[in-house]
Amino acid sequence: MERIGVFVCHCGINISSMVDVESIVERVRELDGVVEAKSYKYMCSDRGAQIIKKSIEEKGIDGAVIACCSPRMHEPTFRGVAEDGGMNPFTVEIANIREQCSWAHDSRERSTEKAMKLVMSSVAKARLLEPLERGRTPVIPNALVIGGGIAGIQASLDLANEGFRVYLVEKDPSIGGRMAQLDKTFPTLDCSSCILTPKMMEVYHHPNIDLMTYSEVLSIEGSIGDYRVKVRRKPRYVDVDRCTGCGDCVTACRMRDRIPDEFNMGLSNRSAIYIQFPQAIPLEAVMDSETCLFHRFGKCGDGPLCVEACEAEAIDFEQKEEVAELNVGAIVVATGYDLLDPASLHEYGYSRSKNVITTLELERLISSSGPTKGEVRLPSSGERPRSVTMIMCVGSRDETQCSWCCRIGCMTALKQVILLRENLGEEVEINILHTDIKSFGKGYEEFYRNVRAENTNFFRGRPSEVRIRNEDIRIDIFDTITNKLFEIRTDMVVLVPAVVPRADSGEFARMMNLSRSGDGFLLEAHLKLKPMDTFVNGIFIAGCCQGPKDITDTVAQASGAASRAAGILSKKELENDPLIAVVDADLCSGCRICISLCPYSAIEPVVETMAGEEVVHAEINEVLCQGCGACVAACPSGAINQMGFKDNQILAMIGVLNDCSDAGGLK
Amino acid sequence: MPTEQYAYEMSIRETLPLMGVEIVDLPGFSCCGEPLKSINQMLTLHMSARNLSIADREGIDLLVPCPMCHLALSEAKNILDGNGEMKKRINAKLREEGLEYIGKQRLFHIIDLVHDEIGLDTIRERVKKTLPDLNMAAHYGCHILRPSEMGRPVDSENPRKMEAILLSLGVRSEDYAEKLDCCGGPLLPNHPETSLAKTGQKLHAVSEQGFDGMVLACPWCQKMFDSKQTKAAESVGSRAHVPVLYLTQLMGLAFGIDDAKLGLNLNLSPVDDLGLKGEVE
Repeated sequence: MERIGVFVCHCGINISSMVDVESIVERVRELDGVVEAKSYKYMCSDRGAQIIKKSIEEKGIDGAVIACCSPRMHEPTFRGVAEDGGMNPFTVEIANIREQCSWAHDSRERSTEKAMKLVMSSVAKARLLEPLERGRTPVIPNALVIGGGIAGIQASLDLANEGFRVYLVEKDPSIGGRMAQLDKTFPTLDCSSCILTPKMMEVYHHPNIDLMTYSEVLSIEGSIGDYRVKVRRKPRYVDVDRCTGCGDCVTACRMRDRIPDEFNMGLSNRSAIYIQFPQAIPLEAVMDSETCLFHRFGKCGDGPLCVEACEAEAIDFEQKEEVAELNVGAIVVATGYDLLDPASLHEYGYSRSKNVITTLELERLISSSGPTKGEVRLPSSGERPRSVTMIMCVGSRDETQCSWCCRIGCMTALKQVILLRENLGEEVEINILHTDIKSFGKGYEEFYRNVRAENTNFFRGRPSEVRIRNEDIRIDIFDTITNKLFEIRTDMVVLVPAVVPRADSGEFARMMNLSRSGDGFLLEAHLKLKPMDTFVNGIFIAGCCQGPKDITDTVAQASGAASRAAGILSKKELENDPLIAVVDADLCSGCRICISLCPYSAIEPVVETMAGEEVVHAEINEVLCQGCGACVAACPSGAINQMGFKDNQILAMIGVLNDCSDAGGLK
Repeated sequence: MPTEQYAYEMSIRETLPLMGVEIVDLPGFSCCGEPLKSINQMLTLHMSARNLSIADREGIDLLVPCPMCHLALSEAKNILDGNGEMKKRINAKLREEGLEYIGKQRLFHIIDLVHDEIGLDTIRERVKKTLPDLNMAAHYGCHILRPSEMGRPVDSENPRKMEAILLSLGVRSEDYAEKLDCCGGPLLPNHPETSLAKTGQKLHAVSEQGFDGMVLACPWCQKMFDSKQTKAAESVGSRAHVPVLYLTQLMGLAFGIDDAKLGLNLNLSPVDDLGLKGEVE
């Protein structure tokens, strides 16, 4: 710029005690292009802002150097002041003479000398700065929520209640997720379905929510404010407008009670046409084409019995898969978790005895809608267990399996102690083999204390082996509190398996362009301060897809993610920071190094035909680019420049700092 | 390998050549060093490394039939391959004898050599004699199971290779809850009662579950279950009558080798009860 104003701040005495502010003002006045130089006690105050604005108005300055604190503190403030005063905000340059000068040194003379150089180098850069304009992107006020568990349900309801259109995509026939499989929740022992079902109904009836069950996201394109998403809608082979959810087809099916029921963790069998669970939303049948006789063999006896049984004439074998195309401004990912298959830990006997089950299987046994109608019975014989032993941390906190804590196991086991006592009476013996009891949430420690007071045996240690001889189960456990080796005889073993990323989370993350942490869960932008953001702008994460958590934390994170998404959707258009990287297509060799480096996936290869030849060059999406500069530094051809940090601007600064004799172009 | 366990060595020398393995006795090979470990770890490492470097010099893979020696050598390999500084120190000592540890030779135990290298098909081809219908309890021995991060010949939690070999000999081997239990051997010098109790418990469990006998591939375990069987059973108030023999002895019998050549007369447990002796059919 040609008319530069320099404003030096005293910062009370933070700067002026170690830097002779006035001598700087006097000296920079002499520099080429500097038409104004002023100092003030607090430049960031309202009065300071007036000084800058007055200079813009009276001296017509078109560039400014503010010598003050770190740009992290007040760069946005001074850009705002400049813009208010009618100047381009991107021709403001900050010289940090507080954190990087007055605070760091103890010689006033030498600090002043250093501050002088810093200010002069900033002036050298300010001469070369260019006015920049913010780009604008319109925002599509619709949201996509992926996953219909409690996290997805909460996020959808929050967004829909804010007035945005929400597409909720769930891969199962019903929403509800893992929470729908639970009998009661800790620490209040609320009936899980009783608190979940009303929310599921609300989703179903909400005018702003488009519920897409039995569907999967296929692909995603675009960027924040304008994503284009393809969703595969699997055929249910049931006309949802006609189906009343009466269940007649389920009873009629020839495959009745012959297919392992996924919802009951394989502890009971279902038909080929089925309703996922009694409270399913939508309450409509779905046909599993992989097990349906008519689908597999083209015939089912004299004719499909489901068709015969359905009075509503809802069965439709002709249904085809459809692909829906959605246009949304923001996305909340809430894809949930899997439990570790305990068969991978042979020593715990999961694959050797039917009476070794997981907590989720026990949850189904306890549930009144479960395979035993709420009676806890041994899967091998159907008898009442007299003794139940729970093994915690199965695969969790174990470097050979999952190094992390599952965060729900301890409380789940403690809760199940209460439920087992309700179910089997006081006389049932319950042993808990734990590593540590982590009862960290609100009301959890009190809950633990209550269970501890009941007649439950706690052993602290990891069992070396579960020995199985027919119906006889014995467990060796070295209790590290009493330093004794115990042998426990028990009828039923309940394993508390580790919480692991969903089996398809790698594939899903690639499709969504999301990063994963070392444990395989989706990676948040900042573990402490941006736990629901991802590195892709406009995509947020909630619930166990980010890491193990209980329902309380899941709901909190889901509402947080919804609120972050609403922040985007509520704007008509988004302003893009112009301080981004720009490719000079003529210099770009198409080597693609920048593409592999970009943490925001903002660079794409573009093929162009030049003089009859196809050439590839990189192109940066200005909406996705965050201006981190990684590509700029990496480009071997020097074809990428960072706006506001161009090579010539930086070199001018270095030139001044390097060469004192020149004194930065003193007149 | 403890030198008193001739039967193991005899049966190995008889069976392996039949499966196309040439056995070479390395000149200068010594004790693995493991018995000294509680006194001088550096010396143990030196001794193991010395043996490994002899194999390097001769360019011959090692067969280490004793699981304890196998673990000592594996551990040394692990330390030397992962710690360049230690490798330098050890090699400086080895140089006095004109040796150098390189670590390019492979290390086998009987079980992985037979199962992974020779292969079950070859074994099936070599079987000449139909053995009586037997259900033998497989006992692996702790040292070839763990620690798994050293790279052991079999899976540490669910080993199946011995059962697979037995099956290819025509012998059943059902799973049992006590399969991974220790023989008690390591406790023998310092805690003989506990040691014998461990042996007795496992013998009791094996006979209680109706096994015809035990098969193993560790000289230390053999010593406990075979030689000390009567005493061990008495220590847990039981009477044991469990035939115990080496995997290689059973292999030899199935291959039609004369039982005297396999050292079957050296077993103190009632191996005659198995009805294994006799002519090739």
